[in-house]
Amino acid sequence: MSTVLITVSPEASRQMRPPRALYPRGFKVGNALGRPFMRDLQRRVLFDALALLTGPPRPGEIVEREYPE
Amino acid sequence: MAPISRRCVPFTPFEGELAGATVALVTAGGVHRRDQPPFNIADELGDLTFRVIAGDVDAAELMVTHHHYDHADADRDINVQFPIERLRELAADRVIAAVASEHVGFMGYTTQLRKMYEETAPAIAEHIDRHARPDVVVLTGG
Repeated sequence: MSTVLITVSPEASRQMRPPRALYPRGFKVGNALGRPFMRDLQRRVLFDALALLTGPPRPGEIVEREYPE
Repeated sequence: MAPISRRCVPFTPFEGELAGATVALVTAGGVHRRDQPPFNIADELGDLTFRVIAGDVDAAELMVTHHHYDHADADRDINVQFPIERLRELAADRVIAAVASEHVGFMGYTTQLRKMYEETAPAIAEHIDRHARPDVVVLTGG
């Protein structure tokens, strides 16, 4: 199984050296996918995380992305 | 035990396309069905058990038991931590092949890190691999 992590605690996650990880910059603990009922935003974050599977391997690296509030 | 940060990255290559992938969710956010036993937040050591959540679960049947983060938003919309409905949409739009038949919630907070790393995490991985056979697992924290 291939895995990808969506993290809101990038410093802690970096110590774990995940195979693939996305940090939606500024998202807080408890809101890994963003705010409630923001379907498009949630979907975009989920898609971006999945897209890390088909991109160039960056094991141990936390990829940061900005998302509009 | 060597510090986790000094271990090799457990990288499993992904081969193929997302459109052919079955995807499972595993969250440390304390997500479970309302009719499942809640995680034991009274134990200062944490709770090392996990709950299996069927892929066709009604999102309204899910809740959070976790006392180490503010889950008020997840209480209103579980997708902020456990994006099961977004995953279904991606499957309906054929971005992914399918939503896995089983997913997992556990409570990430514990002081028993060794047990979490050496026992709970492998047990979750084994369960998911054996019962849901996903190509991909999306992990979220708590």
